[in-house]
Amino acid sequence: MGTPSPNANSADQESQLLQQAVEFVTSKGGDQRLGNQPATAMILGSGLGGLADKISDPVVLSYEDIPGFGFSSAGGHRGELIFGSIEDSPVIAMAGRFHRYEGWSNRQITFPVRLMARLGAHQLIVSNAAGGVNPKLRVGDIVVIRDHLNFMGCCDFMGSRGLQSFSAPAGLKSVDLCSKTEPSTPAEQGKTTQPGETPQRWKPAKPREPAKHRESTKHQQVAGVCPESCVGVVRGYETYDPELSKIAFQVGVRDGFNVYPGTYLATLGPNYETRSEYRMMRRIGADVAGMSTVPEVLAGSAAGMRILGLSMVSNVANPDQPTTADHAEVLEAGIAAAVKLESIVREVLSV
Amino acid sequence: MLDLYDKIQEACAKIRQEFSDKPKAGIILGTGLGDIVEELEVEATLDYKDIPHFLTSTATSHRGRLVCGRLAGVPVVAMEGRFHLYEGYSLKDITLPVRVFKELGAELMIVSNACGGLNPYFEAGDLMVIEDQINLLGDNPLIGINDDRLGPRFPDMCEPYDQQWIDRTIKIARERDINIHKGVFVAVAGPNLETRAEYRFLRMIGADVVGMSTVPEAIVAVHCGLKTVGLSVVTDMCLPDALKPSNVQEIIAVANEATPKLIAVVEGIIQEFNHTRMA
Repeated sequence: MGTPSPNANSADQESQLLQQAVEFVTSKGGDQRLGNQPATAMILGSGLGGLADKISDPVVLSYEDIPGFGFSSAGGHRGELIFGSIEDSPVIAMAGRFHRYEGWSNRQITFPVRLMARLGAHQLIVSNAAGGVNPKLRVGDIVVIRDHLNFMGCCDFMGSRGLQSFSAPAGLKSVDLCSKTEPSTPAEQGKTTQPGETPQRWKPAKPREPAKHRESTKHQQVAGVCPESCVGVVRGYETYDPELSKIAFQVGVRDGFNVYPGTYLATLGPNYETRSEYRMMRRIGADVAGMSTVPEVLAGSAAGMRILGLSMVSNVANPDQPTTADHAEVLEAGIAAAVKLESIVREVLSV
Repeated sequence: MLDLYDKIQEACAKIRQEFSDKPKAGIILGTGLGDIVEELEVEATLDYKDIPHFLTSTATSHRGRLVCGRLAGVPVVAMEGRFHLYEGYSLKDITLPVRVFKELGAELMIVSNACGGLNPYFEAGDLMVIEDQINLLGDNPLIGINDDRLGPRFPDMCEPYDQQWIDRTIKIARERDINIHKGVFVAVAGPNLETRAEYRFLRMIGADVVGMSTVPEAIVAVHCGLKTVGLSVVTDMCLPDALKPSNVQEIIAVANEATPKLIAVVEGIIQEFNHTRMA
């Protein structure tokens, strides 16, 4: 298998690939489709690719052609990066994503997210098909991810160590998970820019607002100064944007379908969970479980993007009455719930 | 992942040179449980280092050879000594023998381990048939491009251990006056034993015993379509509020003491499996 993907050990190489990818997108007119407005990045998961066909005036780039991208090997996933607009709002959509179970590292999985941030995306909508762990959920329900549990193992954790070592090569202090370290000044940030790297295009039109309960300008500074210098999760700060979540709940009320807030638990996969694993997930507070999303969310958050995470419940686990999970069933439920997700996305984009 | 198919073929070719029978079952023996091989009518013994792509066993009291022969008159292959994640091996290499069992024609895998007891009603030396498992290894043997010749991309895990054979195993044990529990096995990477807080956590999430193996093999058995019976020997009790420093020698001694019970159960399973197939 050819792997035209960044070497997980080489920050310089990834920086170069990112630059090449930006140049490639520019050469194909992708970024022109976005205009000067801040764009919304979207990751369309299992069965939700239908939205990809509803993007106006699309510029479609195949993953194989984009420097630094891998290829998507999961059933039901395309492999295209699409530039265009929905509801007159510019979007960059990933039709098909990369998974840890395919053998990609977190750094490889999140490369497209960093590319989209570089291309001016200020918010990220991530969708996935997930198994319902909370017994109140039904197939086809939408869960707005308000928090997550990372059960992907620690060996390859892009969200903290990976990003820090990548973004802070020249003695720059990286931001601690507990945010004890003061963020560096813009002047210091400038010094660490890689030679040959173009200035960041990233200009947050709607800077992330700190959580209401916590007065903090620190996080805003971190998000606004250098998207790549902060880690994915900052303690006391909500990774998943409360305002965007609220829009999703309102759409559910308006259109009359179930939208619940919940906690997403990410496993490595690829096997589905055992009954005992489902019981464990319930006990530790998970509402839905899946094999994606967390790496991308951490990278998006680190890049200063506002995050909306949407899970479509594709099956409901009942550990006390085993039923067999079927990937075809997952895809089918995805098609039915796509309508609901689409109305949420349209509403978010038109606000 | 795609070279795995060829590795399986090469390993099987070597084994077939020494042992031409089609085994009915593959047996994996855990820490201190190697004695079961003495019950076998051995027809061939292959050191792991002589089998292409097999790893070498570095763990305490694991010998590192594949024993081929008959148990209760039924052709089987048994691994004396297994591989663990804590030895630094990849799960794909660790689980290669399971795929080799399948390719040699086995329909059943019996996997055994020495484990720590979390359920306070268990006692050191007890046997447990594994009812279900929790993977806390932080890794998975199926990661990578899936080879559809070997199994499905997303294996279902609602029954990793065959329910019918769990019931039969309990019956077989009772017929031999052996007390056997049924419970949930949780796998952690190790190699350190757990802290008291970790034992509380593992108990809280629903595990009855904890070990550092078996789960990868069971996942791969599901992937390639082998029926699995899992047997745990509780070698020490891990009660967080009455925890004593562990002693590897003691653990192995308990395992050795429990071995006759394990052998009797394994033999019973093999016999009954053979009859069921002929019926």
